[in-house]
Amino acid sequence: MRPELLRLVVRGYRTMAYVTGTMLCILVFVCIPVQAWGHNATPADIVGTLHGFLYIVYIVVAFAMTRAVRMRIASPATIIVLLAGTIPVLTFVVERWVTRRYITPVMAGVTPSEQPVLR
Amino acid sequence: MTGGKPRSRWRFLLSPRWLAWHAFAVAACWGMLWLGDWQFHRAESGNALSWAYTFEWPIFVIFGVVFWAKTIVDEWRQQSARQAGSAERATDDRPAIELPAGAHIAALVDDEAADDPELAAYNAYLASLNSRRGR
Repeated sequence: MRPELLRLVVRGYRTMAYVTGTMLCILVFVCIPVQAWGHNATPADIVGTLHGFLYIVYIVVAFAMTRAVRMRIASPATIIVLLAGTIPVLTFVVERWVTRRYITPVMAGVTPSEQPVLR
Repeated sequence: MTGGKPRSRWRFLLSPRWLAWHAFAVAACWGMLWLGDWQFHRAESGNALSWAYTFEWPIFVIFGVVFWAKTIVDEWRQQSARQAGSAERATDDRPAIELPAGAHIAALVDDEAADDPELAAYNAYLASLNSRRGR
């Protein structure tokens, strides 16, 4: 995979991880309490629907990222990355873990100028 | 190299683990379609919010099918690579060594060694060490 494409995919994944994660936190920690105790379902409806569509984008971008960094498909790691968008706060944790475990090593490997030349 | 019967490469799809995976994929897709249908009926009976989910569930079904297909393609590629590898060196049973992506790639040709007999001898010595390590 070309480094520019890899960088684009990773940036897309990070953006969606943070946007989807933030939206889910707002939904779970603000809108649902308002619905339960404030008896106003409108915020939860709006943010819930928004999160639903953001999650579709997230799952596509996250899947592209797992392919780009050669994570094994159907491995627990890939499944956790894909499902993280539905569990509050998990996207932030998973994004950091994936960066350390997969993205940084792959980035270091594919950048041609950084490859040591041994003779 | 494409040795062996062509159908043998697809036989992994019939192993118990894969049959369970296929069953799960079918059940998951059916479940998601059912949820989409349920939301469609809710939408028709006046729940405006359900229209969003009516379209969302089928999108998840498409993603599920793509994911399932990719697992098969990945496994098939690995099987093919393994078969090609085992056909080439059938006696070699050492485990595959995976180098990190950043590891260096040894030069195939050392053009400096062409006019330096000492370096050429040293390269030959390294090559012999390298081939011995594999056994």
